[in-house]
Amino acid sequence: MFDIFFVQQLVNGLSVGFIYALMAIGFTLIFGVLNVVNFAHGEVYMIGAYAGWLSITIFAPPLFVVILVALAIGALAGFGLERIAFKPFRRFRDEASLKSKAMREATLLSSLAISIIVRELAEKIFGSNMQTIPQDYLLLTPIQIGPLSFASGQFLIFGLSIVMLGGLQWLLKRTQVGLSIRAVANNPMGATYVGINTERTIIATFVIGSTLGAAAGLVVGLYQGAIFPAMGFAPGIKAFVAMVMGGLSSIGGAVVCAIILGVAESVTTSFFAQGWGDLVAYVFLVMTLIFFPTGLFGGGRDRV
Amino acid sequence: MSATNLLQIADLQVRMGEQTILNGISLHVPVGGIVTVLGSNGVGKTTLMRAISGVYRATAGSIRFEDSEISQWPSHRIVAAGLAQAPEGRQIFSSMSVAENLRIGAVGLSPEALAEELEKQLDRFPILRERYQQSAGTLSGGEQQMLCIARALMSRPKLLLMDEPSLGLAPKVVRMIFDLISHIRIEGHSVLLVEQNARAALRVADYAYVMDGGRIVIEGVSAELANDARVRAAYLGGHAA
Repeated sequence: MFDIFFVQQLVNGLSVGFIYALMAIGFTLIFGVLNVVNFAHGEVYMIGAYAGWLSITIFAPPLFVVILVALAIGALAGFGLERIAFKPFRRFRDEASLKSKAMREATLLSSLAISIIVRELAEKIFGSNMQTIPQDYLLLTPIQIGPLSFASGQFLIFGLSIVMLGGLQWLLKRTQVGLSIRAVANNPMGATYVGINTERTIIATFVIGSTLGAAAGLVVGLYQGAIFPAMGFAPGIKAFVAMVMGGLSSIGGAVVCAIILGVAESVTTSFFAQGWGDLVAYVFLVMTLIFFPTGLFGGGRDRV
Repeated sequence: MSATNLLQIADLQVRMGEQTILNGISLHVPVGGIVTVLGSNGVGKTTLMRAISGVYRATAGSIRFEDSEISQWPSHRIVAAGLAQAPEGRQIFSSMSVAENLRIGAVGLSPEALAEELEKQLDRFPILRERYQQSAGTLSGGEQQMLCIARALMSRPKLLLMDEPSLGLAPKVVRMIFDLISHIRIEGHSVLLVEQNARAALRVADYAYVMDGGRIVIEGVSAELANDARVRAAYLGGHAA
């Protein structure tokens, strides 16, 4: 009943969905812990891709080294981003400031500012053209399984995503850092009372979220071979939609919704013209906001 | 200061904006002691507890814990030094399991010490063992209070601050919690207890302070305070024994 083309699109959609999921987790983690949206997340994605591209063009190391470099740069970017755009707005600890909307919205703007600055800097340094990945690294080797054909990059996306999602789950459930992140997200006041170092936990959240974001940027760069300063914008929007659909602070919800979104986009393009694909995310967003104001998986606001 | 004082607060002041919430509080908790702070709503008891735990900053005065001046320390450093709190409103992690709540409380314990302490708390509160994998938000009020106390004890504190542990609980649970307070002293924890249930608090504590308007207005040995006319009139409901 399904033709091959349709199944092929499903698989493509899954790989896009995993990319959105990696990014959406970064949004969700940070939103969970600080209750703010990090608008510079798309730029972390771009930085991950550029870090990979630079390491390839300069050193041409094996693929796993490229991945490690991109992850490390992503982690560093997350750390820097938190210190520059978020930390300065947490000076006041009294209740009035903690509840004030202005304090939260300040970081909304500061992260947006960082995002613009970083993007413009990248344009200034590398130009706004697309950078191409050398053929050896481009993960477009076709792999035939029965009547379906995959690109090797899709396997990297599936593999890396599953490893990173599994790793994150382990981190959040089994390690002290992970427990601290969930505790701060669940009840910041309670976290202070039990002696969690909130500052360190916030930094850890940014580092982890940004590492995942950079990983997403890198694999897309290697797979689609298109690296340019504004590349983070579109997936950033999609990941944001996935986070909202998932209920803002539910990681599981965000991952499921990101995958639904990726598959839906991909399937849409098999029935309509390519340009309609992008509409799907916005339709989902509007539908979610109208019919499921707390998200599809959002029972409470406090689930990470 | 006396060498036997675990906690020594002198002339503590906390201001928030224009308002002075604590206006020169001095009190001390001796090693092995149970001390209670009484007072009605809004006199600054919770602010005092928050200032001790580093949640609020003292604007003036000193808070000494053992040999350190802790009034400007961040709260995680205070907990690590051995001063834990079972706060007002319990502040448990409702979306996390009972097990995870307890593990988070174990600040700075080795894995072996953590496992040992966990057993101890689960023996103390058998109901928590039954609810071990349940998410903490599904617990009843009394169970949440037990979890909150157990979580604070997980860090093996020298001094346990308790802010209104009996608030809103059934009489049976209240009795259990006050029994517990006498019991944990035997295990070597000192206690600073804030309560509105003055009668029960005076029964369990050695020494008591009464707060009003951000100051200490009366202090004394519990047994004497229980017979003090002013305390009886204001906090013990007149003539009741």
